[in-house]
Amino acid sequence: MSLHRLAFRLRPTVTRVRSLHSSGFVQQQEAVAVEPEPESLSVFRTHEKDPACHSDKHVGQFYTLSSAHVRPLFPDSLPWRYQQQMKTFNETCIMVRQPALEVISYLKKADYSQPALRYVFYGLKGTGKTMSLCHTLHFCYTQGWLVLHVPDAHLWVKNCKELLPSSYKSSRFDQPLQATTWLRNFKITNEPFLSKIKLKERYVWTKRESTEAGSSLGELVDQGISRIKSSSDVVGAVMKELRLQSGQPGADFRLAVAVDGVNALWGRSTIKKGDKTAVDPEELTLVYNLRKLMKNDWSGGAVITTLSQTGSLYHPKSAYLPQDLLGERGFDNMDPFIPVSVPNYSEKEFESCYLYYMDRNWLQHPQSRTAEGKKELIFLCNMNPSMFERLCGHL
Amino acid sequence: MKQEEEADSHIFNMAASISGLLKPWTPRVLLVRWSRYNPYYLEPEVRKEAYSRPESELSAEEKEERELKKLRPIKAATNSTTSSLFNDPVLSKFINMMMKHGEKTLAREIMMQTLENIKRKQVEKYHKATDGQKEGIECNPYVVFHQALENCKPVVALASIQKGGKYYQVPIPVTGNRQRFLAMKWMITECRENKHRRTHMYEKLSQELLAAFANEGNVIRKKHELHKMAEANRAYAHYRWW
Repeated sequence: MSLHRLAFRLRPTVTRVRSLHSSGFVQQQEAVAVEPEPESLSVFRTHEKDPACHSDKHVGQFYTLSSAHVRPLFPDSLPWRYQQQMKTFNETCIMVRQPALEVISYLKKADYSQPALRYVFYGLKGTGKTMSLCHTLHFCYTQGWLVLHVPDAHLWVKNCKELLPSSYKSSRFDQPLQATTWLRNFKITNEPFLSKIKLKERYVWTKRESTEAGSSLGELVDQGISRIKSSSDVVGAVMKELRLQSGQPGADFRLAVAVDGVNALWGRSTIKKGDKTAVDPEELTLVYNLRKLMKNDWSGGAVITTLSQTGSLYHPKSAYLPQDLLGERGFDNMDPFIPVSVPNYSEKEFESCYLYYMDRNWLQHPQSRTAEGKKELIFLCNMNPSMFERLCGHL
Repeated sequence: MKQEEEADSHIFNMAASISGLLKPWTPRVLLVRWSRYNPYYLEPEVRKEAYSRPESELSAEEKEERELKKLRPIKAATNSTTSSLFNDPVLSKFINMMMKHGEKTLAREIMMQTLENIKRKQVEKYHKATDGQKEGIECNPYVVFHQALENCKPVVALASIQKGGKYYQVPIPVTGNRQRFLAMKWMITECRENKHRRTHMYEKLSQELLAAFANEGNVIRKKHELHKMAEANRAYAHYRWW
């Protein structure tokens, strides 16, 4: 701690010397009109790798996630275009933005003996809701929480290749493929917790197979991965166990439930039963169990969600507000929640993103590096993060 | 446009040379698509810089041109002309050639994905390369595209010329437009036909363009074969009379 304070005191003197000698940096800083960040070498990057230490002065800057964190935290759950960017640039950088900082500050100050708080990121298409969720999740992971991440709830209510009638309740349907993929990712993310958490109840799968109370969570998850037919019920059991145990005085973990596209849970689905009638999401085991986690009747953790129109079914493109996307049922279920609006880039954030792409050699067109080219880019993308990324892709 | 004008009857050819005597006219029915404009009409000026130059910077001829443009009618600009800084005529021509059934958005989307793919491959190579190798890697997809097309352009082609009852394959020089056309045509046909049915067009195109940039690949091979044929038929070169 004292070393950290010492470093803070020493750094301003170092950068003052730097700005005297390297006039290039001074010009860059003047052009951006941002006061020089004492702990970074460039204006758009910060060396602060711990999300817990991010604060308002880091807004607009990119921080690098270490690969030791990225592989377990996000096993194939980041957006596809971002994954490609990670592969091309050979690094994982997320921009520190106001909505994520807000939620992180609430998470730091919340009282975990009270029922879980629900945070909902909402905004227009492509403004960075999923990335804010990932930033918040990284914070939870570095703080040692148990992360329960559903990368896209829409994938559970559409394009289902295998639909089995549930063995537990005859009116419900199982989705073995989605359940097994989720269990595998859950296992990779929460390796240290699997042996620590013990089950409180006994689960019977078939006449000969059962998981006893007192066995570890890891065994339950392995049971689900190896026996595909009962994997959806295993998912339900895992969620139930974690929900029951997280608030208890004996538990030494905090539960972070992160769902992207939470409006899928209360929407409609395109899955058809054998007789061509549509399946209500309530009749799907996975959705039914996840809905129970969304309620605020458990404590010792937080629920962080995102609304998404992009993968949603039967919602117009113009819908982005919680009332429109969640619908009546969804809103009543989620109420009360903390809505966090995710806007387009501000001037400073756009500047930072532009400099980052320049640094990574991504903006190759000679005209895109001029002032008029930049004005044209701003005009074409209207400060929307995903539009800007797509535009820079081919320039 | 030019080829259509040349194919017109000799009346228009005369009209082009004595355009000063022609009066401006508009037909009763205006056909804009595939329209053969009267040579009286002038080309539109799309670039922004041309209009922001002050009076003092213009030379006498440019001032005359400006005066003329105030009086003469101007052709309608096509849908694909832009005053954008990122406009590239060669790229637009390539997109038009790739287009099927008039679906310009799809053709453009494929081209943009190709450019992005090329850039991604090169930038990935760049970031993983050592400092010594970094200068050799060209990351700009536009430079790669233009250079690849340049490398694919044939210098000589064969023409079928009749002499004494027989047809001979005579090597002839290729004009700039024809070279460009042949290079683009070969590239597109190659990428449409010689690929696995599950590879996307942008994937195959980016592979071929990168190969052509390095002077390898099927299109370059086709160009070399044409050159060899032309070299083999050198003896008949004097059959050309133009």
